[in-house]
Amino acid sequence: MPKVLKISKGPDEGLKQLLRFLLENGKVEGVLTLRKMGEYGTISYSLITNPDDIDSTVPLFPLMPVNLAKQLSRLTLMEAATEPIAVVLRPCELRAFVELVKRTQGSLENILLISSTCGGVYPLEMAIAGNIEEQLPQYWKAVEQGEVIPNIRPACKACVYFVPYNSDITISLLGNKSIDKQSVLLLNTDKGVSSVEGISGQFGEDGLDSAAIEQIRNKREVEKQKLSDELETKALGIGNLTKTFSRCIDCHNCSKVCPICYCHVCFFDTKTSEHGPIYYETELEKTGYVNMLSDTIFYHLVRLFHVSTSCVGCGLCADVCPANIPLWAISLKMGDAVQKAFDYLPGKDIEEGLPFTTFAPEEFAGIE
Amino acid sequence: MVATKKGAILAAEEGKEEAILNFLKQALKQGCFDAVLIPARVPTGDSFAYFLVQNEAFLEGASPLPPIMPVQGARVISNLTKHGKGKNRIAAIIRPCEARATIELAKLGQADLEKMLLITVDCPGVIPLSDYFGDPVKGDEVFKDASQNWDSNPMRPVCRICDKSSAIGSEDLHAGTLGTNSGGILLIPNGSKGEDILNKLGIPVETDISDWEAKVNKLTEKRKRERKQTNDALRSDIEGIDRLIEAFSACINCHNCMRVCPICYCRQCNFDSDKMKFTFEDYFTRAEARGRLMVPTDTLLFHVGRMLHMSLSCVSCGMCEDACPMAIPVGQIFTVVGDRNQEAFDYVPGKNIDEPLPLTTFEKEEFLDVEQSYAGVSSQQEDQNA
Repeated sequence: MPKVLKISKGPDEGLKQLLRFLLENGKVEGVLTLRKMGEYGTISYSLITNPDDIDSTVPLFPLMPVNLAKQLSRLTLMEAATEPIAVVLRPCELRAFVELVKRTQGSLENILLISSTCGGVYPLEMAIAGNIEEQLPQYWKAVEQGEVIPNIRPACKACVYFVPYNSDITISLLGNKSIDKQSVLLLNTDKGVSSVEGISGQFGEDGLDSAAIEQIRNKREVEKQKLSDELETKALGIGNLTKTFSRCIDCHNCSKVCPICYCHVCFFDTKTSEHGPIYYETELEKTGYVNMLSDTIFYHLVRLFHVSTSCVGCGLCADVCPANIPLWAISLKMGDAVQKAFDYLPGKDIEEGLPFTTFAPEEFAGIE
Repeated sequence: MVATKKGAILAAEEGKEEAILNFLKQALKQGCFDAVLIPARVPTGDSFAYFLVQNEAFLEGASPLPPIMPVQGARVISNLTKHGKGKNRIAAIIRPCEARATIELAKLGQADLEKMLLITVDCPGVIPLSDYFGDPVKGDEVFKDASQNWDSNPMRPVCRICDKSSAIGSEDLHAGTLGTNSGGILLIPNGSKGEDILNKLGIPVETDISDWEAKVNKLTEKRKRERKQTNDALRSDIEGIDRLIEAFSACINCHNCMRVCPICYCRQCNFDSDKMKFTFEDYFTRAEARGRLMVPTDTLLFHVGRMLHMSLSCVSCGMCEDACPMAIPVGQIFTVVGDRNQEAFDYVPGKNIDEPLPLTTFEKEEFLDVEQSYAGVSSQQEDQNA
């Protein structure tokens, strides 16, 4: 039974108390979490060193403006954190960061990982419209009940990996019936335990309610199947894929925001992917016309090929697509299939090698 | 515009788009050019893309004036010609702001226009992508109605204040459609390339265009006033570092505004390069200096840097704004800045291909007032010292 710390406050306030404690007591020198800023109330991640700024944080606000894995990679790419920091991130962000660390794009050193069982996040367009605040009572009610939350990202509705892997501290949110009175912080690692030494709260031993978690997972599986069924007829198969991607405007923003797409310059943005006059003349000779956006399907297929073993289904790609292409569904479907084939769950185990970097002589004998 | 300019009349009984398409088919058949670059609906019907077309049959169903701008035409022309112009003479049917950006790219060495023929059309604006993709069928109807009545309300915010929505002065042929509802459309050549084609096709260029010109001027004047009002209003929201930070506070650093911008041609942006990657210690020191550091970092620096790099050539097409996932009014903000900078250099991007880019020319007598203010300060100090 893992150790647990209970703080008699709702989860946001309880977590803020913890973050303040960590900073004030020198357990960490910085905290990376969501913060509300400015008069428009923009929600953005911030690296905070001043404990007084913890007041303006909203660590559990259901929005993912950027996938934090990508930002953590940026912060720790050139060197590991030189000061200890605490990071509050969602399970899929944590999984994506583990995948990036496996690709040597960041370091977990000196980072206290705080995550939660995750209800999901609202699409960016709801942040733009400014109507997330009014959804919050409904959001937390559904979290408490362990229900699938209406209006969240479709990717989140279909997410069955809502219990974080590799977190030092996990805040129990989903199905937590006393959520507005008590923050339940599971201390999963020695690092997690030692970081809270000296904080005022009630210590004990407890774990997640596995029956409740199973129930929530079943609900998400139903949702996933539903979305997947819709997709089966609409978006897959090469003919349908061509249709699905025909709206693509070739902006590559899905790759730009993807936590797994870490390449400094994408192959499709290099000179190799540009065409000279002979290409256009040849194509014109062949068919009489050239679609000047013709390489978009090629781009998407290759991107899927590159990221599918590590896709964590965060759904940011779909959120930023100017053409409303349901990219999350395609990534999820393809990611699921590929990950199952390799018996690999991205972000679960930092020691497990990436499927494409390991060779097993007996693998895929059926195909050979 | 020279008052003595004349135009050719194209019959438009079947609609203005059809009139343009018929002209293109005829010209293609007669060998006036080898291929046409023109927007057409994608097979799914819910968007448009530029197609390079060799055969008249493929012009059926093309859309000289689609309701949206999924990709800026200048980018397409650059993709098509930047590695060499090839053997084909290509006529491109593009909107005025696309043509202007094309001219800028040519000046920047990113497009070769020697074998291109630029045909522009009076532009009613385009519907924002997010509005259109939400319901393309409705989008088509909205655009049809709005463009017939020259109602700019459903269009991109920058289209509503566009004061260069007609002939730009650097196109080869311009199709005048504003207020020509009954009598067909005007085809106005600008320079020998356009004239030669009309001559070859035996289309007489003898119609007086002053009626159409008057209508264009009236609209332009109205838009100029609106542009100034809108710019002034927005300027008060963004002027000063604090307001600018606020205006861009929702930026998620995706750089999609740069990615879709026709002027931002760099294969790798400085702000995506190693130069903008720092050590943890660097980030941490910055956080400590103010108690906190917004992540992603350096978002405003990116926007200001981009402004500095492209605002003199900004044609206010609004692609940036359409592509922003956070709905930041990037296009409107860049219009405020671009207008002021362009005015300072007395430069209209895309107007004249022979006019060099402001930053590539040096004039000894330029911006004397800026210099003098410094001179004034130092001479004042000297006075005090004396």
